[in-house]
Amino acid sequence: MTTVAQTAPPKTRRRRSVQNHGSAPYWLIAPAFILFLAFMVIPIIYTVWLSMFAYRVDSGGGILAKRVLSFVGFGNYKAVMSDSAYATGLLHVLLYGIVAVPILLGLALIFALLLDTVGVRSGGFSRPAIFIPYAIPGVVAALLWGFLYLPSTSPISSITEALGWGTVPFLNLPWIYGSLANIAVWGGVGFNMIIIYTALRSIPGEVLESARLDGASEVQVALRIKIPMVIPAIVLTSFFALIGTLQLYNEPQTLRTMSSAISPTWVPLMTIYRDAFMTDNLPRAAAASVLLALITVIASVIVMAIARRRSAK
Amino acid sequence: MYKRRAAGALALGLATAITVVGCSSSDSPNSNPSGDGNTANGEPVTITFWSWPEGTDKTVEEFNATHDDVQVKYTNAGGGDESAAKLLTAVRSGEAPDVSLVEYTTLPSLIVGGAVMDITDKVGDIQDAFSPGAWEQTTFDGVVYGVPQDVGPAAMVYNAKAFADAGITEPPATWDDFRKDAELIKAHDPKAVIGAYPPSELGFFASAAALTGSKWWSYEGDAWSVNIGDQATQDMATFFQGMADDGLISTDSLLTADYNAKLNANQMLSWTSALWATGVVQGVADDSQMGNWRLARFPQWEAGKTAVGYQGGSAAIVTASSEKVDAAMEFITWLNATAEGNQAFLTNSGAYPAATVGQELTTSLPTPPIAEGQDDYYKLAADIASDTIGVSWGPNVAYAKTVLEEELGKAIQNHTSWADAFVATGEAVKKDLKDQGYNVAN
Amino acid sequence: MTTTSYPRSRGRAPFRPGGTLILIAGAIYCLVPVAWVFIAASKAPNELFSTFTFAPGSGLISNIKDLFAYQDGQYWYWVGNSALYSGVGAVLSTLVSAMAGYSLAKYTYRLRGVLFYSFLVGILIPGITLAVPQYLLMSKLGLAGSQLSVLLPVIISPFGIYLSYVFARSAVPSETMEAARLDGASEFKIFRSIGMPLMVPGLITVFLLTFVGIWNNFLLPFIMLSDQDKYPLTLGLYTLLAKGSGEPALYSLAITGAALSVIPLVALVMVLQRYWRVDLVSGAVKG
Repeated sequence: MTTVAQTAPPKTRRRRSVQNHGSAPYWLIAPAFILFLAFMVIPIIYTVWLSMFAYRVDSGGGILAKRVLSFVGFGNYKAVMSDSAYATGLLHVLLYGIVAVPILLGLALIFALLLDTVGVRSGGFSRPAIFIPYAIPGVVAALLWGFLYLPSTSPISSITEALGWGTVPFLNLPWIYGSLANIAVWGGVGFNMIIIYTALRSIPGEVLESARLDGASEVQVALRIKIPMVIPAIVLTSFFALIGTLQLYNEPQTLRTMSSAISPTWVPLMTIYRDAFMTDNLPRAAAASVLLALITVIASVIVMAIARRRSAK
Repeated sequence: MYKRRAAGALALGLATAITVVGCSSSDSPNSNPSGDGNTANGEPVTITFWSWPEGTDKTVEEFNATHDDVQVKYTNAGGGDESAAKLLTAVRSGEAPDVSLVEYTTLPSLIVGGAVMDITDKVGDIQDAFSPGAWEQTTFDGVVYGVPQDVGPAAMVYNAKAFADAGITEPPATWDDFRKDAELIKAHDPKAVIGAYPPSELGFFASAAALTGSKWWSYEGDAWSVNIGDQATQDMATFFQGMADDGLISTDSLLTADYNAKLNANQMLSWTSALWATGVVQGVADDSQMGNWRLARFPQWEAGKTAVGYQGGSAAIVTASSEKVDAAMEFITWLNATAEGNQAFLTNSGAYPAATVGQELTTSLPTPPIAEGQDDYYKLAADIASDTIGVSWGPNVAYAKTVLEEELGKAIQNHTSWADAFVATGEAVKKDLKDQGYNVAN
Repeated sequence: MTTTSYPRSRGRAPFRPGGTLILIAGAIYCLVPVAWVFIAASKAPNELFSTFTFAPGSGLISNIKDLFAYQDGQYWYWVGNSALYSGVGAVLSTLVSAMAGYSLAKYTYRLRGVLFYSFLVGILIPGITLAVPQYLLMSKLGLAGSQLSVLLPVIISPFGIYLSYVFARSAVPSETMEAARLDGASEFKIFRSIGMPLMVPGLITVFLLTFVGIWNNFLLPFIMLSDQDKYPLTLGLYTLLAKGSGEPALYSLAITGAALSVIPLVALVMVLQRYWRVDLVSGAVKG
């Protein structure tokens, strides 16, 4: 199998580099370049620049002196790293991730394997059915599940109530982690399942046949052959899951309208939103965004590195 | 050749981007050469107005219909926690309206953000239209920054029918009575609670603390004092923690689907907040609740006292970037200080007016359906509104709100001391003020 | 879906009830909330909290009427806005990505490496880092709060560019391009008549992923827009839900709106998923 994330463009042969195709390549890439510059590069530069400033007042300016933007170097970064709201947010995200990511990927893998297993029926119905949640936006999914969790409308709670066990506290701690994770799992399992399934389908038939001929059961074939051969796909899905976890926002924000267990700074993105739009501390939000981006990049690189080592075995 | 082409394309891209960004940082267009509310050539001056209460568009229509010299263009800017920051950003980018509604709690933060115009010289005519307590909420160090529009004198609404079923015939006059009533309620129906006190209710806790004379933010000279963690507040916190620990109050959020369901099932029996609570309860109550609720005075810490603080309420400001100050003041004066304006927003939006003339108007209104049977509803409201203590706010209320929600939320989850949560909040708020460069006395 | 064909079984396959049941259970789990939203949309507001969850109600028509009447038909603004941001946005984005991917894949030029890696790094940048400064940029341009302020930023999609690059590399043979050049065709003509048609299957994938991505993007319009008439559907539904705390009747509207919005989206995804190339996505990682 080819190595994972081998993303460098292939080296060009000397012959090709001499060809002159005029300005067409530049014009073709120009729109992307300009948009990239305008909506990614410049905003990032501005964010980093802004993160070095803060609103300060002159000590002698009276009780309601105007605040002005002043240079503070890394002051905002220090403040963010010592802000308990951000620290708690990261903790919540970590706990959420520990629950959500393994279940998401595990289920995606199991479903994909099952779809690929000889003798398992209902693929024609199950595959599209499991894929449907992908089409539902996170906010709507949180809305749906929110009502399914809410004691007054939840079917599970009505069953448990009828049995005399009271309502299930889906929207309270500590269940809330599971409840949020469930929304992510529900929404993401289909997409990830398809990615892994497609990789499974490209495993050469001969490999599987010879294993079966050797007497391996389907389970053994799955564990010993199929899974190792789709590790790149699993890595890709892990990558998406990781980014999704760190950037968790839509679901807790939506569930906040229904649950009191979610504070306004429950995940880092919500705290960034608070700093940017509620406490007029945009520079601090900028610093936090930069830190969050760095964490994401570092985590992604680590995942890629682990994957590279794994598949190089 | 490639190098030149590449460099050319790069330069073009960068130049475009920079030009586009640089060129458009427009200064506020000086659209009205005369600057004031005088019509330059017979044309009415148009001012822009941001607000949010339901029905404000109708109020604005009434103004436009009766005024030739000033016309108002209304935008529903949505209220909520983000409204102040939105206004600030708009001022900074030159897109701000001339007039905006702002909540009292956010006014200081808007002032220090440079968004509010000093209108001390413009309010001479309407000085007497409002009580000193009302003016206190928009005046700092002698400078007037806004005109009060509606107020929220602290009050209590309660499900009198459910109270009666539990054996309570009089609303509680003190918090000790409140606790005793809560116990009776719980004894009568274990699923019911007297009310909900979630960590998000900074406004409530501030108002309850204000009864003891505690001023969470105050200033003297050019220094602020932050007393969110003072002894009076800690005692208050301990009191409510006791009630929560004994299951007498809920700590879940207000007005969630669950809260509303409980309210309609006679399991959420009162709301100690302010006069506007009636309207909100009426909005979520179903028909079975109509006529069951009553307005009462906010419970006191000391028997015999009657003065109460404020929770909520808003004022109209002229934004610092506005160039149509006279026209803006004409609109604000009509809206907030005249009988016509007050009648309009009273009818259309249901807000309780800050102006005396408006409060007098309310006494001729019929009792709200949810309190049907309480014939002196509006008379009681007016009495409550006339006996108030100021509640003071500092420049970082929004920050305090999120810190309190986090600290108190943790204390509730982990069953640790609520009083400590308030102390921690006070420390964080103090530090935040100091970090920003303000003088903090304590 | 492209699959290599190879014998999957010899003769009659033994039926595996366990595996089949697990799969069906998974399918049901995925469908339950979707079924719920349609049932709940049929409940009148006062039935929502009082009847059993899966019992259909009597208020579907009235809910739909109320939804369309809300704020003088604001719902239709939301639908239109979503069509604009997601539909037009995804089309434009796919086009831009296709051009860029093709350029990176089929030509060599000095800046190509720099641009390629820049786009790659762009994939890793989380959206939130950009939403707030994009808002500031739009404010400076005087565009904040306009529909353009949501449409423009979503057109650039580094991931879409990367996918297009991968696909252009594999689907468009350089020899064919050479032949066309020898015939005198301009590069643009080659792109239009040869490159694009060959890239279509991959571009459908890019379009689908971009469309769903933009539809799902809550934070950008949330930050950019203040006029509720310009909200996309997801933001509008969220607003109904948030306001529902003070006006419970709005919950039913939010649910009905969600139900209606699910239909076209699911239909679109179901149709397109027959044509899209998921191996493209996993192949992108294999490089």
